[in-house]
Amino acid sequence: MSEVLSVLLYGLVQAAVLLLVALGFSVTFGLSGIPNFAHGGVYILSGFVCWYLLRKLGWPHLLAAAGGVAVAAVVGVLLYWLVIRPVRRLVLAEVIATFAAGVAMLELFRWMGLVTYEFNLPPVVAGSVTLGELAVDAHRLAVVAAAAGLGLLLWWFGRATRTGLALRAMAQEEYTALSLGIREDFMATVSVALGSALAAVAAVLVLPLGLISINLGYDAMLVALALTVVGGTERTAGLVLAALLLGVATVVASVVLGPHWSEVIYLAAIVAVLAVRPSGILGRLKELEERV
Amino acid sequence: MRTAPAGYRRERLDRGIKVRSEDVFVLAGWGELLYRAGPRLAATVLLLVFPLLRPWTGEYWQTVFLVALAMMLAAVSWAFLENVGLVSLGHSLFFGAGGYLTALVALELRAPALVAVLVGSLAGSLTCALLLAPVLRLRGVYFSLVTFALPLLFSRIIEATKILGGTEGIVGVPGLGSLAARQYLLVAALLAAVFGLQRLLDSDYGLVLHAIRDNDVGVRASGISVGRWKLAAIAVGSLPTSLAGGVLATHYHVVGMSAFALDYSVLPLTAAVLGGPGTMAGAAVGAALLVPVSELLRAFGTLRVVAYCALLVAALVAVPEGLFSLARRRYYQFERWVPV
Amino acid sequence: MLRGRVLWVLASVALALGVWSPGARTAPVEPVVLGVPTALGSIEGADSLRAVQLAAEEINAKGGVRVGAVRRPLQVVSIDTREHEPGIPIHDALAALEKLLTERRPHAVVVGAFRSEVLLAAMDVVARYRVPYVVTIAMTPAFEARIASDPAKYRYLFRMGLQSEYFAGNLARVLGYVKSRHGVSRIQFVHQDVLWAKATVGFLETWARQAGWTVVSSDAYPTGATDFSASVLRARTGRTQILVPVFDMPQSGVLLKQVKGAQLPVAVVGFISPAVPATAWQAFEGAVDGMVQFVAEPGPLAVRALPKSVHFNRAYGQKYGEEMRMKLSGHGPGPSYDAVYVVAAAIERAGTLDPDRVAEEIRKTDMEGVIGRIRFNDKHQVVYGGLPQETAISLAFQWRAPGRRVVVFPELAAEDEIRLPAGLGR
Repeated sequence: MSEVLSVLLYGLVQAAVLLLVALGFSVTFGLSGIPNFAHGGVYILSGFVCWYLLRKLGWPHLLAAAGGVAVAAVVGVLLYWLVIRPVRRLVLAEVIATFAAGVAMLELFRWMGLVTYEFNLPPVVAGSVTLGELAVDAHRLAVVAAAAGLGLLLWWFGRATRTGLALRAMAQEEYTALSLGIREDFMATVSVALGSALAAVAAVLVLPLGLISINLGYDAMLVALALTVVGGTERTAGLVLAALLLGVATVVASVVLGPHWSEVIYLAAIVAVLAVRPSGILGRLKELEERV
Repeated sequence: MRTAPAGYRRERLDRGIKVRSEDVFVLAGWGELLYRAGPRLAATVLLLVFPLLRPWTGEYWQTVFLVALAMMLAAVSWAFLENVGLVSLGHSLFFGAGGYLTALVALELRAPALVAVLVGSLAGSLTCALLLAPVLRLRGVYFSLVTFALPLLFSRIIEATKILGGTEGIVGVPGLGSLAARQYLLVAALLAAVFGLQRLLDSDYGLVLHAIRDNDVGVRASGISVGRWKLAAIAVGSLPTSLAGGVLATHYHVVGMSAFALDYSVLPLTAAVLGGPGTMAGAAVGAALLVPVSELLRAFGTLRVVAYCALLVAALVAVPEGLFSLARRRYYQFERWVPV
Repeated sequence: MLRGRVLWVLASVALALGVWSPGARTAPVEPVVLGVPTALGSIEGADSLRAVQLAAEEINAKGGVRVGAVRRPLQVVSIDTREHEPGIPIHDALAALEKLLTERRPHAVVVGAFRSEVLLAAMDVVARYRVPYVVTIAMTPAFEARIASDPAKYRYLFRMGLQSEYFAGNLARVLGYVKSRHGVSRIQFVHQDVLWAKATVGFLETWARQAGWTVVSSDAYPTGATDFSASVLRARTGRTQILVPVFDMPQSGVLLKQVKGAQLPVAVVGFISPAVPATAWQAFEGAVDGMVQFVAEPGPLAVRALPKSVHFNRAYGQKYGEEMRMKLSGHGPGPSYDAVYVVAAAIERAGTLDPDRVAEEIRKTDMEGVIGRIRFNDKHQVVYGGLPQETAISLAFQWRAPGRRVVVFPELAAEDEIRLPAGLGR
């Protein structure tokens, strides 16, 4: 029994990790319709910035994290103005350009040699907690709490705040939004900066579970894509449901079958959902937009 | 771009010789003939002659030439598919399929290398067409995302299930004649691909293919089966890349998971975007520029990939029509200031 | 018009001359070129290159290599094949190897491939170019199988580094001792999904079952994985007593962190590449405490029974500094240093640089080196065993607070017994 419980617990933690990583991407792609495939690059960049501030300059942990978030937001703004804006509304060009920017960032880090064991971040909360028979680090529980909190925040943001509604309007009907006084450039900059800042928050929370490894950047991109595709871009509930499904599935697969299978699950999920229900499991069908 | 002096505007006109060499008047004189045929002839002659320059260029650059030919084929194939509206972000799928199937045919069926390469490439492109058949209905970004995920998926499945040699790959693939033989095989394939596919796109079939890219609902309304045409387009369009994968497998004597690597997806994409989407020759020129530059940058390790990506972003953002289109415009037209 | 035509002719001539450059640059004495095509981004590869350069410098200081009647200096050239990265770009690595072989034309290659997958693929390329090739890092036994299958074709290839079968044998000896001494019986293997690690764990699993162990599980992780929670979970539910990790990637250190964080009651006996150097205690914040770590060949640790390893350690520290010496990796630098001496000695005995003659002389090598006594078996592999006077040897040490590495294997070089954590076994 305790085996099943520990698998479920680790599955929940994994789901929280996936949700955190995908949140930033969902804000830009799901909410505002801007595919920012440099998400993985910004994720790792903010991890390294936080590491530098913490380990090399000796800043306190919270301040270093805030520094990472700030740098990420600035990078997001630059990304929008230099890369996305010139090809705005040409979705494929946006995808390719941001993806190339992300790869360039990650490979630059690899070339700079930032791959040894010394690149790690300390946990936000130290120590472990025993729940009955299971021992779990306090940090992992903090991750679950943070994911739940941010998920709720995202839902409320998209539904009840003016900025959130403006972003959705901009994604749905560009000209009508313009006629209502919603300035596209400003809103889009806010959206990309917000997405990047969320990526940084995720980095500070998730990277302490392992190393700051450059391949995690590619994995983060894959995870964000998988969650957004499986959950659909329309509803936050879809994102959360996708996170739970994929989180538990990957943990079960890696315990039962082997650690290789977790990536296979993300990829197979993307292909399967796109083939059968391109809008995602909770999305309403947008047949004419998606397929012939 | 220079801004116009006050009271003037820029005018772009066809060159005299271009006008004189259109249609039947191209036969009027040697000048007109060479103007028309020159660039194509020069490129073809260069491709045919390069392997013979071995004593002067050295073995190393001949190998680079072989890899460049393979990448040119991949870029041409990418550009063809893009013309049909099928933007593939995972072109290495075709490359790897061609490589693995060639290795299998050569080692399991004990076929001679040339037969293995030809059969393997054909089988590779047909397999990929069948794999993509269920998702052909998807448009735009959604199709591209699937093409992005598929090579990664296969590479992970190979790693997890250890089929097809697992992480070790299939070793001991027989060689295909000498280096020159492989080079000429690819040169022939490249010439056939560039000229053949461009002809295809300029013909009536091409009209339908372009229509599928621009307005597929309209095509369906005309009673043409979009799904079947897309399937055929993928089968034909992926063949050059599969062939490239097969020939490189015989060159390195090994096929591994790395045949599905991101490198083989990013390079044709960058080459086609750099050279100019829309034309087969543009994609080939883009690849011909990128591969030697990438070899020269080899000393810098992964900085190469950074350079490709930076180049890709710059090309997409600043020169969306591509270098080849720019060059072609200069060749056919000239510009001047005229008073408004 | 005429000026235009003249300029054209001049430009063409200049172009032709530029492409067709006759004759090599005449150096006073042509050096003997040693090529090092390996994963220079990995700690093993980088350290091995430094060891090779050290050896070349020492030989040049004594006048160089005698080729027939002339003494020629050694020159080391290298290229980074990036093969240690996840996804193992075999094509790219082979392209880099070909570039080195065709552009720099080395007379011999040392260090060689890092990844066994690349080594197996490179064997055909080396056979085509006919260059003596001494590999010191890649460990797969399939290398010898291929040499045995076609000795004439693969006569240029040799290996001086440790090989998975020997490695597994050493691990089995230590594990067997621990079992009989402490009465433990539940074992779990965690390894990287690459050829050498799979081969090692394959042998060990078979041995373990025959020796009466209960194998809880054997978990394979792809290169680049950073989360080992699945193994931690299995260790807890399977009540593992001995955890055997086999990794060469830097991320494997996270396993130790996770084991400590989950407070698992296990003893760790195996090979985790980043936990070998003397600096690892600090880098891991003590998570390596109690781990029995294997070192593939002597080099990073000076062993009194091997005087050359003492000399190597000192010379390396003098040339590259104490910090670099403390960071020496456990696999590669020792045999790479020896490989240069082996090749130099073979060239001198052959009296020529002809690859066939040099390869023939390498095969007959019998000398003392950092790794012990260097002799090749009939499959071109240096023989590893337990006695430093008879064979090359492999070491194991245990990490003890506050950061000491205590040698525990082989018996002749051991400083202390292996201690298990309190409460484990008898």
